[in-house]
Amino acid sequence: MIRIGLRDARSHFSRFIMSIVAIALGVSFVVGSFCFREMLDSQVSQMMATNADHDVYVRGAKQTKSGSTLLASGSSMASYNAIDVNLADDIAKVKGVSSARVVYSLTGVVLVDNHGDAVTTMGSPSMAIGISASAPWRSAKFTSGTYPQGEDEIALHSFAAERSGLKVGDKAKIVYSDGPHDVTVSGIFSTSASQAGAIIIGVDPSVAKAQSDKQSDDADKTAQICVYGNATTPLSESEQQRLADRINKALPKDSQAHAVTGDEYRDDSTKATQDSLGFIQPLILIFAVIALFVGSFIIANTFSMIVRESMRGYALLRSIGASPAQVFSTVIVQAMLLGLVGSGVGIALGWGMVRLIVMGLANMGLPLTGAADPSISDMVIGLIVGVLVTLVGAALPARNAALAPPIQAMNETVNPEKPVRLRGIAGTIMVVLGFGGWAFACAMAATDGDGPTPWDAVNHISIGWPLGIGAALIVIGVIMAGPAFVSPAGNILGWLPSRIFTVTGRLATRNISRSKRRTSNTAAALFVGVAIVSCLGVVASSAKASVNSLVDNGFEADFAVTSASFGRLPDEAIADIRNTDGVKTVTTNRLLTGVKYDGRSAGGVTFATQTHLFTDVFAAETTEGDAVKALRNGELLVGKNIAEDRGWHVGDRVEVSAENTVVDKEATEQAQADYQAQVQAHVQELQNEAQRMAASGDLAGAQAKTNEIQQYTADAQNIDPQTLVRTKKETTHKTIKIGAIVSNSVYRDNVMLNDDIAEQIGNKQTMFPMSLYVKAKAGTDIATVKRNIKNAVKKYYTISVFDRDEYKSTMSSLIDQVLMILYALLALSIIIAIFGIVNTLALNVSERTREIGLLRAIGTSRGQVRGMLGIEAAVISVFGTVMGLAVGVSAGVVIRAVYASEGLETLAVPWTQLLIFLALSIVVGLVSSISPASRALRQPVLDAVASE
Amino acid sequence: MARHSVQTRQQGDSGNGVDERIVARAIDLTKNYGGKDNQVTALNHVDVEFMRGEMTAIMGPSGSGKSTLMHCMAGLDSPSSGQVFVEGLEVSSMNQKQLTNLRREQIGFIFQSFNLVPTLSAEENILLPLQIAKRPIDRDWFKQVVDVVGLEQRLTHRPSQLSGGQQQRVACARAMMARPSVIFADEPTGNLDSRSSREVLGFLRDSVRDYGQSIVMVTHDPRAASFADRVLVLTDGEITRDMSHPTYAEILEVFADDDADTEATSTEGAQA
Repeated sequence: MIRIGLRDARSHFSRFIMSIVAIALGVSFVVGSFCFREMLDSQVSQMMATNADHDVYVRGAKQTKSGSTLLASGSSMASYNAIDVNLADDIAKVKGVSSARVVYSLTGVVLVDNHGDAVTTMGSPSMAIGISASAPWRSAKFTSGTYPQGEDEIALHSFAAERSGLKVGDKAKIVYSDGPHDVTVSGIFSTSASQAGAIIIGVDPSVAKAQSDKQSDDADKTAQICVYGNATTPLSESEQQRLADRINKALPKDSQAHAVTGDEYRDDSTKATQDSLGFIQPLILIFAVIALFVGSFIIANTFSMIVRESMRGYALLRSIGASPAQVFSTVIVQAMLLGLVGSGVGIALGWGMVRLIVMGLANMGLPLTGAADPSISDMVIGLIVGVLVTLVGAALPARNAALAPPIQAMNETVNPEKPVRLRGIAGTIMVVLGFGGWAFACAMAATDGDGPTPWDAVNHISIGWPLGIGAALIVIGVIMAGPAFVSPAGNILGWLPSRIFTVTGRLATRNISRSKRRTSNTAAALFVGVAIVSCLGVVASSAKASVNSLVDNGFEADFAVTSASFGRLPDEAIADIRNTDGVKTVTTNRLLTGVKYDGRSAGGVTFATQTHLFTDVFAAETTEGDAVKALRNGELLVGKNIAEDRGWHVGDRVEVSAENTVVDKEATEQAQADYQAQVQAHVQELQNEAQRMAASGDLAGAQAKTNEIQQYTADAQNIDPQTLVRTKKETTHKTIKIGAIVSNSVYRDNVMLNDDIAEQIGNKQTMFPMSLYVKAKAGTDIATVKRNIKNAVKKYYTISVFDRDEYKSTMSSLIDQVLMILYALLALSIIIAIFGIVNTLALNVSERTREIGLLRAIGTSRGQVRGMLGIEAAVISVFGTVMGLAVGVSAGVVIRAVYASEGLETLAVPWTQLLIFLALSIVVGLVSSISPASRALRQPVLDAVASE
Repeated sequence: MARHSVQTRQQGDSGNGVDERIVARAIDLTKNYGGKDNQVTALNHVDVEFMRGEMTAIMGPSGSGKSTLMHCMAGLDSPSSGQVFVEGLEVSSMNQKQLTNLRREQIGFIFQSFNLVPTLSAEENILLPLQIAKRPIDRDWFKQVVDVVGLEQRLTHRPSQLSGGQQQRVACARAMMARPSVIFADEPTGNLDSRSSREVLGFLRDSVRDYGQSIVMVTHDPRAASFADRVLVLTDGEITRDMSHPTYAEILEVFADDDADTEATSTEGAQA
């Protein structure tokens, strides 16, 4: 029996090709998504092993809530309380510790090569870390040159060197947040893992610390202290554990610090990074599911055709004594074979895709060394999925083959379909429930946290739940109810073709309803793909429109100025812009950290600004009060969302407090005095020694001592005064009246103060400018002013100037990039859908061989047969597309409404795009019908109609 | 297209003279099946003429070539050699497009089973050939045809809601509707009980008598053949008898002889 199955499979091979392609595509998506995910994971863990290679980490003992909203990087890593940097000295004394120090790293630096061009990356960060001979980075090996010393030297990671074309000894510039510095490349080092396109620059640890302190609001605290147990070789896990235990014993009780092994630390951060990249896989998997879904019914269709054609053979087998199980097995064997071949091809395809992506990324400047080859388990998953889907698809036709009585096998009559009304009702209920979920989500968004229901628990679930569950219910509901809607949809969609092509149109329209389930399944593939893409299309175009309308309505400034180094603009640059010809006003919004209102943080960013923010940048929109006057009077301006949250109104008085680290003058003077005394004492001691030597006749020795004294005093004078600065904590309090509630969409989650008040509360040193807007003088030529500003900031390398249109397009182009990826996926799902339609039509044609023969016999031309099948296919594909558009657009509209307060102010439905989808779907249908129609026409009329 | 039709008609004329009484004819028609080693001759140099306004029955045992003859005449099958003319047009040399036109204008079909498009109602089925050909519908003629076949009450029914006899009557009405030069009927009563058979055959005979319709019918049923004006008997690819208005008894008699002949010569079985 198995041999018969295998032989049949060989003779049906051409029939199987389409099924194999579908299964292969599905499996390749599955394998590719896992493989890609693993590749990223392994890249991340490789980088972790290299970049976080310490044996023990000491970090805060208390887990704090996830970091400030400003720096929310989307990573899910837990954060801990900061610990005292001085603990490093205590830890260094612990037995077995080779070195313990705070590793300072600076993000947002920019490397400028010797031609004066900034070295760019593919979105990966550029960062500087402190390394030196005494504080080495264990994983970094110098290939040429050596460690950087002092402010004037840097070392480059090999990728950075390659990217910038810099060699040891070359002059370059490095731009920190305080502006560019001239440096020389002292060395080039490599790491075993590639850095995923990041530019890594090694700088002297003291430089790194100094720059880092400028950015930090508390230089005495750090997130962690990094400990090496051995300067050259990594410790084993148990050694790490013993070392961590010893350190924990040595740590002072009140330090709130805790030592963990390097492995544990790496696992945590690896997982956090991997989680934040995790969203990619489900996205790919959605399309894998589409492919496999289509694949399974293509297989079901294919086997239905094969079984139909082989019925006589099966009847013969049955009549000579084959059991139903045996007949079943001949079909299943074929399915098995098909599944294996399809999965095999799919695994290879998936592997190839990931390889191709990795190659493409490397070419674009994003080298990845993570393993891009599928693991055994990936392959097994792919194989199992592929074979299972195939078996599921083949099971029903195989059962028919096994159980159909021989007489029925001879008959051409197609069994009438089971009624679809039940499915229609169940599906419709699901769709209604889904819309209910969406309505609930909208209501939740509208009531703004209070919730539409009397139940508190229900009101406070994440808004994503009703949205997501609603969407799932609707999608499944539509697929379920699909068959029930085939007939009405066929009549509606077929109306026009029936008018134009009276006969073929009518025949096609009626054919649609003949096997409703099959038609609906075929359309479902397009439905899901189109729904996803049109939903995201609506959201994306709404996002674009919202940005544009923001700029068009109410954005008064002529330019926005931003910086690559984490949005931080050097003070000198601001001054330069202010002094540029043609500039009327410069508005800088400076961030205040650690501000609390009535003892609680506001849940949004507080910034200091100038009164012209609401005249020259954004037109003020307020629900209460006058924004300009409030700023002028030094009153508090509160964003609408925060005001609603806290129940504040104009006239309320709020106690504003901020904890700042300030220079402790007394302590600093004391430290300087102490140091002076220490130097004096040492000099005195040396002088005494010199005198003693001179007295004893050792003149050479005395001379040497005198030289030593000179050297020592010179050194002492050169000491960086920074090291002697002592700081202290200071909390400032101030009660301020609320002057206005601001409802500008950009500032709804902010609190604003004028500069004077802000500087009384916050620390001027740590208030960094996060955005800068320029208004040109009336009557000046915008282009000239722009050129002037550009020239003025050129020397800072990292500062970009955008005019209004550029400001719009920076936002839009990002959205467009995301859309491009989606369209690529849509294209794939269209290809899969075409397979589905082709296959369904092929099955329809094979079932209707005689009918088509009859039509031909009574004078239907070849063109009319093609037309009939073309209309049929187009109606199926338009059916799927229209459902997809309907669901996708409503999903987009709902998402837009729900997230309106988060930047999706304006609803924009990309109608042209949607119309193109619709037109495309007609083309897709027509194209799909070509091959089945040819197959139908190849059949001689005589074969179709001749009685046996 | 038109030019080609003229050409073929001229060819037909030059070969056969102008005989308006002939609606279709085959000249030296041969049809072989199979390859070199297992060649089967279904038609062996057959010459035959079918007269206008007559119902001709083609009879013969299984494998005698009767169906093949009809298929070749109707352009459903292409002959190995020889020529086929319908209304003076050479069917045997036509391409697909010309065949489609031939079927639209000159030929009607009635098959043994599966005559109707299942998605269309009886009325739509009857009108289908005209609509396909985009020809105007003669409503009076339609009423008349429907009246004759007795389907007034059944016009909106789908084929699955009709009995076998009713379905065949719809098929007859459809074939009549376009007023073709000749209707080819392939075992039209093969699947029917005797009462339905008589109804269908009676209708076919009436259409010949009342409207001058030409019909060529293949059958193996002597009773069906007895409705015909003329009965041709095929044996082993050759026409062995040509009878005008034979009675049922005469036909039976022929077949009694024929069976004996067949057994005596015991030729190998041919394509059905």
